[in-house]
Amino acid sequence: MPAAVQTSPVFHVRGLARVYGEGDAAVIALRGVDLDLFSGELIVLLGASGSGKSTLLNQLGGLDSPTHGTLLYRGANLAAFGEAELTLFRRDAVGFVFQAYNLIPSLTARENVALITEICRDPMAPEEALALVGLADRMDHFPAQLSGGEQQRVAIARAIAKRPEVLLCDEPTGALDVRTGITVLEAIEKINRELGTLAVIITHNAILADMANRVFTLSDGRIVSVRENARRGLARDLAW
Amino acid sequence: MSLLDTKLLRDLRALRSQAIAVALVMACGLAMMIMTRSLILSLATTRDHYYEEHRFADVFARLKRAPNSVREELAAIPGVAHVQTGIAIQVTLDVPGLAEPAVGLINSLPERGEQVLNRLHVRSGRLPAGRTTVGELAVGEAFAEAHGLRPGDSIAAVLNGAKETFRLSGIVLSPEFIFEAPPGAALPDNKTYGVFWMPYRELATAFQLYGAFNNVSLTLAPGASEPAVIAAVNRLLAPYGGRGAYGRIDHASHRRVDDEIRVLVGLSVAFPLVFLSVAAFMVNSVMSRQIALQREQIAMLKACGFANRQVGAHYFKFSLAIVAGGVLAGALGGIVLGHQLVEMYHLFFRFPQLDFQLDARVLVFATAASAGAAFAGVAGAVRRAVRLPPAEAMRPEAPANFQPSLVERLGLARWFSASLRMALRNIQRRPVRSALTCLALALATAILIVPNSFRDGIAYVIDFQWDVVQRQTVTLSLVEPGPARALSDFKHLPGVVWAEPFRFVPIELRAGPITRRLTLQGLPERGTLSRVIDGEPRQLTLPPRGIVMSAKLAEVMQIKPGDEVVARVLEGREREIAVPVVGLAEDFAGTAAYMELDALNRLLLEGDRVSGAHVVLDRGHWGEFLSAVKRTPRIAGCIIKDSLREGFRKTTAESIGLLQKIYLLFATIVAFGIIYNSARISLSERARELATLRVLGFSRGEVGAVLVGELVLLTLAALPLGLVIGSGFAKGILTAVNTETVRLPLVLTPANYAFAVLVVAVASAASALFAARKVAGIDLVGALKAID
Repeated sequence: MPAAVQTSPVFHVRGLARVYGEGDAAVIALRGVDLDLFSGELIVLLGASGSGKSTLLNQLGGLDSPTHGTLLYRGANLAAFGEAELTLFRRDAVGFVFQAYNLIPSLTARENVALITEICRDPMAPEEALALVGLADRMDHFPAQLSGGEQQRVAIARAIAKRPEVLLCDEPTGALDVRTGITVLEAIEKINRELGTLAVIITHNAILADMANRVFTLSDGRIVSVRENARRGLARDLAW
Repeated sequence: MSLLDTKLLRDLRALRSQAIAVALVMACGLAMMIMTRSLILSLATTRDHYYEEHRFADVFARLKRAPNSVREELAAIPGVAHVQTGIAIQVTLDVPGLAEPAVGLINSLPERGEQVLNRLHVRSGRLPAGRTTVGELAVGEAFAEAHGLRPGDSIAAVLNGAKETFRLSGIVLSPEFIFEAPPGAALPDNKTYGVFWMPYRELATAFQLYGAFNNVSLTLAPGASEPAVIAAVNRLLAPYGGRGAYGRIDHASHRRVDDEIRVLVGLSVAFPLVFLSVAAFMVNSVMSRQIALQREQIAMLKACGFANRQVGAHYFKFSLAIVAGGVLAGALGGIVLGHQLVEMYHLFFRFPQLDFQLDARVLVFATAASAGAAFAGVAGAVRRAVRLPPAEAMRPEAPANFQPSLVERLGLARWFSASLRMALRNIQRRPVRSALTCLALALATAILIVPNSFRDGIAYVIDFQWDVVQRQTVTLSLVEPGPARALSDFKHLPGVVWAEPFRFVPIELRAGPITRRLTLQGLPERGTLSRVIDGEPRQLTLPPRGIVMSAKLAEVMQIKPGDEVVARVLEGREREIAVPVVGLAEDFAGTAAYMELDALNRLLLEGDRVSGAHVVLDRGHWGEFLSAVKRTPRIAGCIIKDSLREGFRKTTAESIGLLQKIYLLFATIVAFGIIYNSARISLSERARELATLRVLGFSRGEVGAVLVGELVLLTLAALPLGLVIGSGFAKGILTAVNTETVRLPLVLTPANYAFAVLVVAVASAASALFAARKVAGIDLVGALKAID
């Protein structure tokens, strides 16, 4: 556990398992994962395709429920949450960034962000969120008029505008070239540092590990190694 | 407005052509429903209001002659509220500008005070002054309009053999003659038949009926039994030559309005419902597709904290917007068309005022029904979408499970090109969707059959009734049934080539509890002019015993050939006789019963008598013939067949024709809408696949063939099915609108089928062309990148 962070974790996970299907057709995606994630941390989950990292991210984000194990968010048992509670949890606590951006094509950048700020408790202004990711001058463009990196930054602005406690990023640079990828990672880094948001990035790009406080490597549904960086690197120094 | 609503508006704009297609189909169904239901409301409330305001009677009776004192006895019958007695008499008219003689029914106005029942509505001028002046008549509006008569004009009538000239005091309407047609006629002929009113004293004096009456109207007290009152009236009037009392249901004008309402009821349900179901199916397919395309967006919304309810509501609003568009257009269309049709009803229904009244309940019902149908259509797709865990929805749909199509497995594959094989597999991959699209295309074909079957039915009736059944030039009727030698008098009129006698007698037919009043027609056993034709159609020979009746009459009386019916003669000596039904005749206007002339005369015990003759004329002597007829006081009526045919064309044919045109327009819109929509959905589902094919080196034509191939295959399967369903619709709707006064036969012509196929083919070709253009315009790189 890093010394810099407080004692009460945002997520407390023990023996987390997720099995899809039943009997012979059962697919075990997670086989007992233990971890604690703290506020202000930047976490990288590394692993090949099918290692279970996306499943873990979905569990943390309340998109899916575990088959076994403990999954506590701020002491509350997420595994026992019903549909309505999970919806509220996602609405107020979690910001998602998807590999495919998932912007609404018929809404402008500003509107895509405002769509989410309309429904949450204490959001920042969409303009402020877009300025944070460096898109102050592209706010009225439709997704089709933005580059991939810009679209992903809109997605990040959309995720952080609600001032989430957790920012979950699923391969945020997966569809981007190096230079654009780095601007996106810088945006995530900035939010993590300035707002103290717990950021979890899943990737199969090991280079990203340098910018994390801690790096978990998953394989076959288990955490096979945990690495703690004594000093976090900066996103702009990354290269692949 | 929330941003989800902004998204909704922009998505709608992107989907506008499909949204418009669906809304139009819905609008057609709604317009039809609103139009017909509003017409029903307009006719029914106007009629009821008119009846109440002008005190339309409940029971009617004709008799030969009874002294006025009998009136008190009638009033004393338990259950009778008000009685009005008077004189009604048929006379021959000489109308300025009309070559042939016309027939007028002159009714008396009370000697003292106002009419108690069946009060007149004065349209212009005034009622005849009566006590101060003589020689005045009030004329019914339909006849006045047909001849351009105005108050102050003159008209000549033959009263009891003496020709007199009358001044028209005013133009009037009567609740008894909303439909101004001669008794027994299903069709109005306002040129040669009119209704008039004149003061009692003057009319009674002319016919030596002063102090007596031959016509009774009465109303029932609340709770009174109509059959009981009718029976009592019949008993009371029997000694005075009573011809049988009857209720409103047997009243010609009332019956005709009732039947029109029944026709509209038949049209207001089945057909619009087909349109609305098609629209619901289209909403469903558009929305399912839209939701499938927005899978990732839905997942994102859910991941970001939107509740299922909010996401569901968003897509419901989407379909609601389409429904709202459909309802708005449908209501407007229904109201505009309803106004037009109300105008048309003025042609043959005479009300003081017939205004279009919007049936607000049906508007609400129809809106709720289409919204419900649309929601039902969307609910499944929305439920599937929101049920999907967001994490799963974020990934593109798994590739569909394809198999070689059945046709290929049967070893026929080598006959098919790759494009056709892809089309076949695609159909087979989604059998339910393909079956539903095929059904929608079949419905598009089917609804085109119905309106044209109306048109063909009318054409058939016009030919059948006036070329096959009735082949005379004119029909002459005597004031009173006369001896058989009258026939030779007719034969000697100038220009007469051939004449055949007939004997008409009013009867009441009874089979079990069902009774009907109609004219029993005595005709030569195998006449050449007025013929009795069966359903084949072939001419029936009238046997020396028994009656032949309209198939429709047999149907409503629930009898079949071989059964016996009781016929009560309502003229002269009243008699009841049981006669066997020996055959069924096909006819389309009113119902009738036929008997061999001599057999009828034997039955009536009146010797060899005729009521008139059907006559064939040499047209060269037309003028001479007509003036001779006008000079013969014994001839009460002269009905020119061509005028009747023309009357039919102008009224029934015109009203059904207008409905037919509206329906055809709607059906064509719907057919185009369905086909266009199918092509659009197919295109949107396959854009990526088609782009891939293009990248792989397929030509535009080959790629287009995959898409168009599917549509063509489905259309080919749908066409025969559609023709069968359409024939069924036509049969069902014609059965629903068949009444005892007017019927249409089910006539399905190759031209009708060909038209339906042509419209569907043109719509398919246009949609295919559109799809092909879109295929040509596919952005190859973009389509491959796009998630959808």
